[in-house]
Amino acid sequence: MIRSFYIIYGIAVLAGLGVAQYQGLSLATINEVKNVPRSVRDNPGSYRSVYSAYHHYTGGK
Amino acid sequence: MSAGPMPPNRPQVKALNCPHCGAALTLRSFGNAVTVVCESCHSILDAKDPNLQVLQRFQAATDPEKPLIPLGTRGKIRGTEYEVIGFERRTIHVDGVPYSWHEYVLFNPYKGFRYLTEYNGHWNDASVLKALPEILPYASPPKVKYLGETYRHFQTAKAGTSFVLGEFPWQVRVGESAEVTDYVSPPRVISSEQTGNEVAWSMGEYMSGKDVWKAFSLPGDPPEATGVYENQPSPLSADTKNIWVVFAAFLVLLVMMMIGFDMSSNKAEVFTGYYKYDSNQRGEASFVTDEFEIRGHTSNVEVDTSTDLNNRWIYLNYALINGETGQAFDFGREVSYYHGYDSDGSWSEGSANDSVAVPKVPPGRYYLRVEPEGDPGYGVTYYTISIKRDVPQNSWYGIALGALLLPAILLTWRTLSFEHLRWAESDHPPIRIGDSE
Repeated sequence: MIRSFYIIYGIAVLAGLGVAQYQGLSLATINEVKNVPRSVRDNPGSYRSVYSAYHHYTGGK
Repeated sequence: MSAGPMPPNRPQVKALNCPHCGAALTLRSFGNAVTVVCESCHSILDAKDPNLQVLQRFQAATDPEKPLIPLGTRGKIRGTEYEVIGFERRTIHVDGVPYSWHEYVLFNPYKGFRYLTEYNGHWNDASVLKALPEILPYASPPKVKYLGETYRHFQTAKAGTSFVLGEFPWQVRVGESAEVTDYVSPPRVISSEQTGNEVAWSMGEYMSGKDVWKAFSLPGDPPEATGVYENQPSPLSADTKNIWVVFAAFLVLLVMMMIGFDMSSNKAEVFTGYYKYDSNQRGEASFVTDEFEIRGHTSNVEVDTSTDLNNRWIYLNYALINGETGQAFDFGREVSYYHGYDSDGSWSEGSANDSVAVPKVPPGRYYLRVEPEGDPGYGVTYYTISIKRDVPQNSWYGIALGALLLPAILLTWRTLSFEHLRWAESDHPPIRIGDSE
């Protein structure tokens, strides 16, 4: 019973892995933006990144 | 036709009555019993003596106890019908605490005697060993070997008989004691009972209360088993072995998938650019790269950043923009690398390089918008941006491996917990962290 359940579970895990690799899924935080104007190509400063307000770490020990 | 003369020595049926209280006695073992206990006055009688001499009376010393399987009940054990003819309670003391179990004497005229033992709802079907087990010298803990199977020492204790009823194939006495040693290899247990110089060996096999109730067609339900018994088979041990075998098969599959994806994935470098960022320079820092083609099916794009950072950081706002559709993947990466030396020795944190996978990027013509940021005063940072298409992500292999391992580890942990409970009651309890002598 447990063995059968584990076999089904394991197949699902490996199938999920296959899908993730084939579709190129990633754990990274990426924000998808639609309809970026073509003008950005000529005027890069006109684009405002959603990450521009990020508070930067100024690390070191 | 008249009857002939009666033979002078014709055998006569002798009424069996307790010589002490006169109650009728039932002998079920056809003269095989050595002692019989009167159910009325609890006198232990010599069954081999025609006058049933009273050997001992114990009624005043102990409380009467009712067997769960009444004397005279018949049931099938391993295909043979046995009758319950005797019952005794035996007690050991561990740290002054009495622990009692019950033994039932079973009899079949052709097969002889066998025994059922019961402790806290755990049952064992026991019979006398036909050959002596081999005692393994120098084994720690002590072990015995019997029919190719090794049994590990569980417990040695002085067991006293505290209540008896019915017939016994030995000279039973209340108060008599023997040194009982158990060796286990679940679901079996080998026991030795030493009285003086005499040692008797027996083997028991674990039975559930339900099986006993079914074998003897007893009404109701058996008492629920509590705790883990010394030779109780772990309900999960077989599953645990199986699951690790299946895990090994999955691991092979996982490695094959790794090789397969590594060989079949594109991993083509679609763009590389070398850049310089001067944090002292004022003005717009953002720029865009040349357009590049991303081919193939919808898959990931890996953006690698390599810098010459040294005790500094740089933040890069990235946007991978499809020049045709206007679809953009916006993300920020902080790259920082610090190192030094202090009283603890040398230290470092971060890395001068970074890598990120942008998921599910459809094919098309793209460009990258880059907006670097850094602390004013840092000066110039040189960095390289490299973009690759369709790169297998190792993190998924790690997650899949963890997901496959988790059930196996949980099951193993439960099996080990079961064994921990078993051996906690033995002479060889598992050592726990924090225990002190």
